[in-house]
Amino acid sequence: MAIHLIRPAVLVTAGTILLAMAGGPVHAQQSSPAPAATIPHTAKGKPDLSGVWITGALQLLIGEEEAAAYRKADAEAGRPMFRREPPPYTPVAEAKRQEYLARRGIDDPMARCLISGVPRITTRPLPFEIVQLPDRIIILYEAHHAFRIIPTDGRPHPPDIEPSYLGDSVGHWEGDTLVVDVIGFNTNTWLAGVGTIHSEKLHVTERYTRDTFGTVIYDVTIEDPEVFTKPWLQQEIFRLRPNERLREYECIENNEDLIRFEKLLQTEPIYTRPTVR
Amino acid sequence: MKGLIAVIFASLIISASPAAHHSFAAEYDGEKPVTVSGTVVRIDWSNPHIHFYVEGKDDSGEIKQWKFEGYPPNMLVRQGWRRDETMKPGDVVIVSGWRSRLEPNGAASRLVIFADGRKMQSGPPAGTGGQ
Repeated sequence: MAIHLIRPAVLVTAGTILLAMAGGPVHAQQSSPAPAATIPHTAKGKPDLSGVWITGALQLLIGEEEAAAYRKADAEAGRPMFRREPPPYTPVAEAKRQEYLARRGIDDPMARCLISGVPRITTRPLPFEIVQLPDRIIILYEAHHAFRIIPTDGRPHPPDIEPSYLGDSVGHWEGDTLVVDVIGFNTNTWLAGVGTIHSEKLHVTERYTRDTFGTVIYDVTIEDPEVFTKPWLQQEIFRLRPNERLREYECIENNEDLIRFEKLLQTEPIYTRPTVR
Repeated sequence: MKGLIAVIFASLIISASPAAHHSFAAEYDGEKPVTVSGTVVRIDWSNPHIHFYVEGKDDSGEIKQWKFEGYPPNMLVRQGWRRDETMKPGDVVIVSGWRSRLEPNGAASRLVIFADGRKMQSGPPAGTGGQ
């Protein structure tokens, strides 16, 4: 089902970009983006999404000052403030989410270093790199050393999908928007925060639209007839980080959370009652 | 000093957001901020969080050794931290954050103020791990 939030077209002029860049942040590692006002395209004529990008809670990754500069640039460029809709859970699923919240998120799979699924892995405060090839797009995530290979040569989902954290992705272009269809998830991930559960019937549709040189609009439609009463819509803005590189993030090295969780689960009344699972 | 601590508390409250350390609320109490003035004893620069130990005083005035948790190294580096350079044993610091639910002298750190006036964010705001 092709459902996505209707977004007013963002008219970006060279002057707007220069204005945004002039007010852009100065960071210890990150100089201003290269002054290229045009969106790069591949030989096939499609927008080239290649590059290192960040999104989600920017202030955690680049500091509040620089994140605020991005928000200021958004306002000056007339970017809309995206809606944040609560998950449209069925009463049963919402009751489960509330219980996870009451348990203060101690059940978060991510805190146990399990790979985040889609779209949560995208919104982690860690960069990811998109590598666009003629027949496929590869996304490398700093979080969990994870990667996705997204065929764009017209092939369908394979018949032998095993449920997995990141599911199975296939992509195609609708105009200048990359549309990625993702199915085949396991249930070991949360979608976008504490208790945002789903079933194996989860179906995620991602739309990547490079609307300026420095940004991609990321529209996500999350469908799951087991837990949602209607599709759950999310939007984010990716920010290009031309001078950034992916680093290593090894989650399990010294994850003291695991030890503390065990103690808390045994000693704190709020955690020792029966779980929702 | 009281004014400085008030500023720190204000910044902690303003910066609180739902996106934070995974399961922050499970381990730490966002309603119980703490500020410790003292001397850095040790730094464990490790994933998924660094830990550093500060011997100093909290509001009670009692000298204790505190264990603070912080961002992972790759996030600290992006915010200007350098291992073995930014914070060293012996540095005099003021660290603010939130108390652990489990460890009496443990806390999630948010901000470190060094003796030369540098202010470095060391960890995420309090929250429920919303993202």
